[in-house]
Amino acid sequence: MRARRWATRIGALLFAVAVLGLWQGLADARLLSPVFFPSPLRTWAALRAMAIRGDLWGPAGATCLRMFYGWAAASLLGVLVGASIARSAAARIYLQPLLEFLRPLPASAIIPPAILFLGLTNRMVVTVIAFGAIWPVLLGSYHGFRSVDPRLGEVAALLRIKAAPYLWKVALPSALPDIFAGVRVSLAIALILAIVAEMQAAQSGLGLNILMAQRSFRSPELYAGIVVLGILGLITNQVLLAAECYLLRWRTLIR
Amino acid sequence: MNSAISASRGALVPILLVALWELGERAGVLPPDTLSSPAAILSAGAEALRDGSLLWGTIETFETALGGLAIGTLIGVALGAPLGLSPVMEAIVGPTLDAIRPVPSMALLPLALLIYGFGARMEIMVVTFACTWPVLIVTVSAVRAIDRRLLEVARALEMPPLLSMFRITLPAALARIGVGVRVAAGIALVVAVTTEIVLNPRGLGYDMIVAAQSMRPDLMWADLVWLGLVGLLFDLCLRWIERAWLSRYAAGPA
Amino acid sequence: MRFGNRLVLDNVHLSVRMGEFLCVVGPSGCGKTTLLRLFAGLISATSGELFAMDRPIVGPSRERAIVFQDYGRSLLPWRSVWANVALAYETLGMARAERRERAFALLARMGLAEVGEYYPGQLSGGMQQRVQIARALAQEPRVLLMDEPFGALDAMTRQTLQDEIARLASERQITTVFITHDLEEAIYLGDHVVALASNPGRVIETMEVDLARPRDQLGTREAPPFLKHRHRLFQLLLPGMQQHE
Repeated sequence: MRARRWATRIGALLFAVAVLGLWQGLADARLLSPVFFPSPLRTWAALRAMAIRGDLWGPAGATCLRMFYGWAAASLLGVLVGASIARSAAARIYLQPLLEFLRPLPASAIIPPAILFLGLTNRMVVTVIAFGAIWPVLLGSYHGFRSVDPRLGEVAALLRIKAAPYLWKVALPSALPDIFAGVRVSLAIALILAIVAEMQAAQSGLGLNILMAQRSFRSPELYAGIVVLGILGLITNQVLLAAECYLLRWRTLIR
Repeated sequence: MNSAISASRGALVPILLVALWELGERAGVLPPDTLSSPAAILSAGAEALRDGSLLWGTIETFETALGGLAIGTLIGVALGAPLGLSPVMEAIVGPTLDAIRPVPSMALLPLALLIYGFGARMEIMVVTFACTWPVLIVTVSAVRAIDRRLLEVARALEMPPLLSMFRITLPAALARIGVGVRVAAGIALVVAVTTEIVLNPRGLGYDMIVAAQSMRPDLMWADLVWLGLVGLLFDLCLRWIERAWLSRYAAGPA
Repeated sequence: MRFGNRLVLDNVHLSVRMGEFLCVVGPSGCGKTTLLRLFAGLISATSGELFAMDRPIVGPSRERAIVFQDYGRSLLPWRSVWANVALAYETLGMARAERRERAFALLARMGLAEVGEYYPGQLSGGMQQRVQIARALAQEPRVLLMDEPFGALDAMTRQTLQDEIARLASERQITTVFITHDLEEAIYLGDHVVALASNPGRVIETMEVDLARPRDQLGTREAPPFLKHRHRLFQLLLPGMQQHE
């Protein structure tokens, strides 16, 4: 029923347009406070102005870079540590309670100690991101490596595959779906921590942008910044999903 | 016997770390203004407990966390139930919601600050936004999974849609919604604490950042450990509640 | 052979001649799988000794390949069919091009060349099991151990694969130890059939199968010697098997 699918798509588009239109109408009629709820058109104008002025790309790039470094470090470490704990019964026994205590701790709780150690610097932001984003990957990696089918271990033993090739060729691909699940959550956390740590440390970036906009009551720029952050969140998630689809393409092909 | 052995082994590492930490502090090896000694942390924590600041901070944080959770749950269920019942509505409204969802909840901090200024209300606003999504998603999928027959019963009895939603739809979906609320509760605490660390001058998060910035590392670490304990306790409570909830509402064929 | 307090195999003396096809039958839980895993070197005997070609079995070896019943769990789902087969070549340090070539050659001899680039998850159960057999053969083993390999397949596929494995085993002169609980399958395939009882697993009888090769599904199964062996095996094992139903 392709006609139906198109009809719903158009319906969805009309709905979104209607919402924006309603907002615009209410703003124009002064029923919504222009300070707290600037109209979509003003937000759009502010966004364009920021892009043209160059106020957008620099901070966006800075935020992205920090987010990427922190997240990459967290992912790498998370996979390695998670795998090590999964493979070593001793590590599990000794580290389990510590990990259970650290897990419910909010990632942002790392910010005050980080400020003590590193001050209000760029390095602090990246460190915060890394420490905060490591947990989902660590847990995902741990779970993935623990759930490698023992049958595959037997197959590897019979083929006389040594420990290192086994980890790389059998254990890691087997754990990859769980690792990816953790990595995706980790990316979301990285974005949040990037914003938050930037605000805290007054480091140039999208987080600081919206904070400054709030302080000077420039709400169209504030909303524009929020939109940009939403887009950033969307793009990064989609890129990761695409990578996952490619690397795990064998999953989609099952009969 | 076995669990006692592994429990004591598990406690070994933290105890060892703390002991090394204390020794390092005494020997002057570790920097005093960032890593104060465990003994000092303990006394700072005891002091904060005694003068009530720890308890007060905890209450403030949980106030906003639970408040935002409650409102977020209400909105999530109120939006999710009709969307789950009507695939057409979901197809039309869904994409707009999908466009808003990627916005990180923390990006709303300055907006909440703009509207409400410092205080409890701005924090509740941010927590609400963050909590709405998991509840919404779970409600939609839970409602969608309700046995068609139950809904047909409602229609056969000619129940008005609102009544049928309360009497039939929601109770049937309650088990899964409960799980979603539990996830949201965890998020609520994290978002509340984060808001306090970054901006809002109330609650445990604020206590921590103030301690850090006024060069009182012992108090900061004490607050951190307290936060960890509180978070752990909260997590355990949530799991216990979830189990009780599920045993009540998930009984019988789903 | 004991697992904890349970005596799984008791007083089992078995010898398998090189190049022969030995079938082991018995009811569920009689220790057939344990026996095979002992042969493979995956587990060690708690008492007694195991030898393969005059050398004691101390662990897994490429000389002894095993084909499991659960093909879904034994193949690497993220690798294509040819890459699964080529797994056996990777420990030999072969270049990728050569590995691929040899894998495809092997697949071609088994009639699987067209699915070489597919993922195991895209294939039917019968084909997946054939891929597992191909991987086992890629090891170039002296002994092929098969643990109820056709148990999870439908009857028609089972018959096709029975003929295929009989052909492969005789072509390559591979010693095969084949475990099944299907009595007729055991007689159809084997040169010798060992009947095991359960609780604890012990050898009731070793039967020689005097049927001409090559065998076929229709003719051989109706031949008088086949029916005689079948009768004998049923007498030996059916009471035990019925106990386990």
